[in-house]
Amino acid sequence: MAEPMVKLEGIRKRFGKLEVLKGVDIEIAKGEVICILGPSGSGKSTLLRCVNLLEPPEEGEIFVEGNDICRGPGSGAGEQSWKLDFVRQRVGIVFQQFNLFPHKTALENVTLAQERALGRPKQEARAKATELLERVGLGDRLNQYPETLSGGQQQRVAIARALAMDPHVMLFDEVTSALDPELVKEVLDVMRELAEEGMTMMVVTHEIGFAREVADRVIFMDGGVIVEEGPPAEVLENPREERTRQFLGLVLDR
Amino acid sequence: MSQFFNQYFNFNVMGEHFGEVLVGFLQNLLVFAVAAALALTWGLVLALLRQLPGKKPMPIRFVTIAYIDFFRAVPILIIILMISGGVPFLSFLPESVRIPRWFGRPDTFWYGVTALVIVYGAFTAEVYRAGIEAVPRGQMEAARSLGMSHFQAMRHVVVPQGVTKIPAPMLNELISLLKDTTLISVIALSESVLVSREVLSERLNSSALTLTAIFFVIIILPLARVVDKLIARQQLKITRGSHIEVA
Repeated sequence: MAEPMVKLEGIRKRFGKLEVLKGVDIEIAKGEVICILGPSGSGKSTLLRCVNLLEPPEEGEIFVEGNDICRGPGSGAGEQSWKLDFVRQRVGIVFQQFNLFPHKTALENVTLAQERALGRPKQEARAKATELLERVGLGDRLNQYPETLSGGQQQRVAIARALAMDPHVMLFDEVTSALDPELVKEVLDVMRELAEEGMTMMVVTHEIGFAREVADRVIFMDGGVIVEEGPPAEVLENPREERTRQFLGLVLDR
Repeated sequence: MSQFFNQYFNFNVMGEHFGEVLVGFLQNLLVFAVAAALALTWGLVLALLRQLPGKKPMPIRFVTIAYIDFFRAVPILIIILMISGGVPFLSFLPESVRIPRWFGRPDTFWYGVTALVIVYGAFTAEVYRAGIEAVPRGQMEAARSLGMSHFQAMRHVVVPQGVTKIPAPMLNELISLLKDTTLISVIALSESVLVSREVLSERLNSSALTLTAIFFVIIILPLARVVDKLIARQQLKITRGSHIEVA
C-alpha cells in the first residue's frame, strides 16, 4: 500500500479531567473519503480538530503525507511554525458554524488568506476565488456579505474558502448540522463532487445517507475510541457492535 | 440669592473673559485630540500584547496586565505630577525629551499628554479587549486554519470586527479623557480651568469657571447622546442577531 495521506497513531487528548480521545488510530489513503459517525461527546470533532492542530493532541503521532506534524523535522525555535505552516498548506477545514468573516464579501472571504498567507497576487487570488465560487454555484453572489446569504450558501462559500488554499486533505466538521433541512442537499452535493474528483476527505457527519453513498469507509466512534470501522455497507447495514447498532437505530429512527 | 447669581453667573465677568477662557478651552481640545489619538493607538498595542497566544509570550502578557491594572488604579494627577516634576531631572535623557517643546507646544503640554496617554492607554486597552473577546472564537480558528498568522488574523479578521462592538464604551473613555485634560492646570498649562482660576483670584468671582463648565457641557452632552444611540443600536443588533446565530 502506498504511503497514507493521513495517519493517526494513538491519539490522546484531554480537556482538564475529561479524556476526550483515548488512543485513536486511523489511516487514510490518498483520495479516500472516510465518514466518522458517533454520538455527541464521542470525540469525533476533537479528533478532526487534532488533524490540523487546532487542538494539538497530548499523546500520539499525526503524519500528513509521511511527515510527523506532532514532532516536526527538527527541534527548537522554528519547530512550531514549521508544523503549522505545513499543516495549513495541506489540510483544509470547514466548520459547523461556517465561521465566514462577516465583514468581508463572499469573494473577499475566499481571497483574504490567499493574499495574506500564501502571498498570491491580488488578481490571481480573485481569479481563483471567482472560479471556486462558481464551482460551488455562487458565481452570482461574489459581492454579497455573509449575512445576506442563506446558511447553505454560506457553507458553500466556506468550502470554496478552504479549497482556495489548494489543500491535499479536507476536513468537514458537521458541516450540515447548523443548516435548515432543505439546505443540506446543496452542501452535500458540493462535497460529493469533491469526493468524485479524488479529494481526500475526513467527514464528521450525522448524514447517514451521505456516508452510505459517498464514503469509502465509515468509522463509528464512541467514548473517545473507535468502536467499529469498515465499508459503509458493512458498518451501516450489518454493524457488529451493539453500540453501533443502538446509535444507528436512534439516528435512522427519525 | 442675587449674591449666589453674582458669584456664579455674572455675565459681565463671563463676557470680559470670554476670549481668554475660549483660548484656554481650545488648549484643552488640542490636548484631548493629541492624547486621544495616541491613547487609542497605545491601548490597541497593549490589548494585542495581552492577547498573544501560547506559552512563550507569557512574560509579555504578565507585564502588560500589570501595566493595565496599575495605571487604572493610580490617580492621573499623581502621574502628571511625577512626570512634570521628575522627567526634567533624568539627566540620561536627551534634553529634547526632558523638556519637550515639540510642534511649538510648551513642555507642560507634553507632560500632560504623556500622563494622559499612559493612563488612558490602560483604559482603552480594556475596552479593546472587550471588543476582541466579543468576536467569536471560530473567527480566529477559521483564519488560523487558512494559514494566516496570529497577527494577520488579528489585523484582518478579529480587530476589524472587535472595534465595531465597542464604540459606546470607547466614547465614554474619550469623554473622561476630555474632562481630565483640566488636570493639567496643576502644572500650569494655560488651559481653561487655569485661566478661570486666575480670573477667580483676580475678581473673586467664579463665573469664568461656570463658563468653562458650559463649554465642556456643550461639547460633551451631544457625545453622551451619541453613546446612548450607539448602545441602543448595539442592543438592537444583539436581539436581531440572536435569531440568526442560534443554530
